[in-house]
Amino acid sequence: MTPNEKDYMDRYIYQIIRRLPKAQRDEVRMELEELISDMYTDKGSMEEVLTELGDPAEFAKQYQSSQRYLIGPEYFDTYLWFVKVVLICAAIPILVISLINAIGEMPAISSQHSASVMIRTIANGLTAGITDAVLSCVAAFGAVTLTFAVMERKKVQFELKKAEKWSLESLSGESKTPASRSRWTPKFLEPVPDKKAIISRGDSIAGIIFIVIFSVLLIFAPHFFAVFFTEGETVMTVPIFNLEQWSIVLPVLIISLLIGLADEILRLVVGVYCGLVMISNIICGLLQIVLSIVVLKVLPIWNPNFAPEIERALVDHADSGSGFLTYWNADMVSNGLLIFIAAITVFEIGVTIYRTLRYGAPIKNG
Amino acid sequence: MVGEEKDLLSSLLLELRRGTLTISVLSQMKEPKYGYALVQSLEEKGIAIDPNTLYPLLRRLENQGLLESRWETGGAKPRKYYQRTKCGTEIYEKLKAYWQNLSAGMERLLREEES
Repeated sequence: MTPNEKDYMDRYIYQIIRRLPKAQRDEVRMELEELISDMYTDKGSMEEVLTELGDPAEFAKQYQSSQRYLIGPEYFDTYLWFVKVVLICAAIPILVISLINAIGEMPAISSQHSASVMIRTIANGLTAGITDAVLSCVAAFGAVTLTFAVMERKKVQFELKKAEKWSLESLSGESKTPASRSRWTPKFLEPVPDKKAIISRGDSIAGIIFIVIFSVLLIFAPHFFAVFFTEGETVMTVPIFNLEQWSIVLPVLIISLLIGLADEILRLVVGVYCGLVMISNIICGLLQIVLSIVVLKVLPIWNPNFAPEIERALVDHADSGSGFLTYWNADMVSNGLLIFIAAITVFEIGVTIYRTLRYGAPIKNG
Repeated sequence: MVGEEKDLLSSLLLELRRGTLTISVLSQMKEPKYGYALVQSLEEKGIAIDPNTLYPLLRRLENQGLLESRWETGGAKPRKYYQRTKCGTEIYEKLKAYWQNLSAGMERLLREEES
């Protein structure tokens, strides 16, 4: 074998093993060195040998035994639909927000250059908006993909467990041959779910849109949650949230919203009310209530200067809407919101439990 | 033949061959053999198999516990020898019986169609 031919052999082998898992590479390289040199001794020409072996990519494919998915075909349609909804819900509000921000920052229109200034400001706002939109679309895509990927893995484990459990039962029964261990029987069939037990995309879409848009607003425009005053030409705002401490509050809020999103994804993927959906709904609901308590009672979510700032703004104002102020009390608002959130969550859990018990598919092979 | 038809035929042939290759390989592995010797001995007996199919297949069969391998480093170059395991022999006997049954049945079916 000439050095040139040896070089071609090494190149060929490299093209195969770089496509294989690290643990197999060394062994496969030795095998291939043995094979190619045997074939070379037989045929006498490296070119002929490598041509006969064919495209190394195809060769490598033969080594890759089982197909592995991040998101399998079973979930893929739901996943695609979900990604579309989430991306649209993330991108559009961000563009709108950045446009509003740009217009808000626009200097007072006075000179005859105003048209070009206006266009430039809007263009700047849009550029910033597009950057933000792209970034958050990437993040949203990641969050949805991660959730689906986890479910894909869990599903596999779930099904394995199911088969195992079933085989133990069947072993204790009349059939004792190992061959019948994992054989399918009609007992495996789950009843056709009641029409009322089916969870449609329509049921979930409102929830998903709300979660995504609300997340986007909380991340990119917490200052929009504010009381607005017009004072002549300029608009004054008094933010409701504590924007200085926002970096502490925001992650908890986002985690809570993500839990809600994961629950919605699970519902859509399972598609019927059943034990799994019910349990997930209960757990997610309780977690969200706990996180709400943390946000509203422990973390500094409210603007501590809200009342004084409004007071100051109102002093300048002739009309006194100050009746509102006497109602502002951060503790009271927290408690009110908390009761509201808890009531809604408990109501939702209640509906899920009711539908599951009334119409739902039985808890999987329980 | 049209391209599409050709693709269909080759994918059907691939499916048909896949199982038979396993039996063919197992049948030759009573005594230890290295890969290329196996390619040649199968080819002599009329069962052509591409090395790029055989080598991955040998690895798979080893992973499944039907074959075992060891590296011989004594010769001019290291060689990997494969041999049937006990489990591999048991499975091979079963596959062989199944195959004989199947091929007898197939024979009847195809002859019937001819006549």
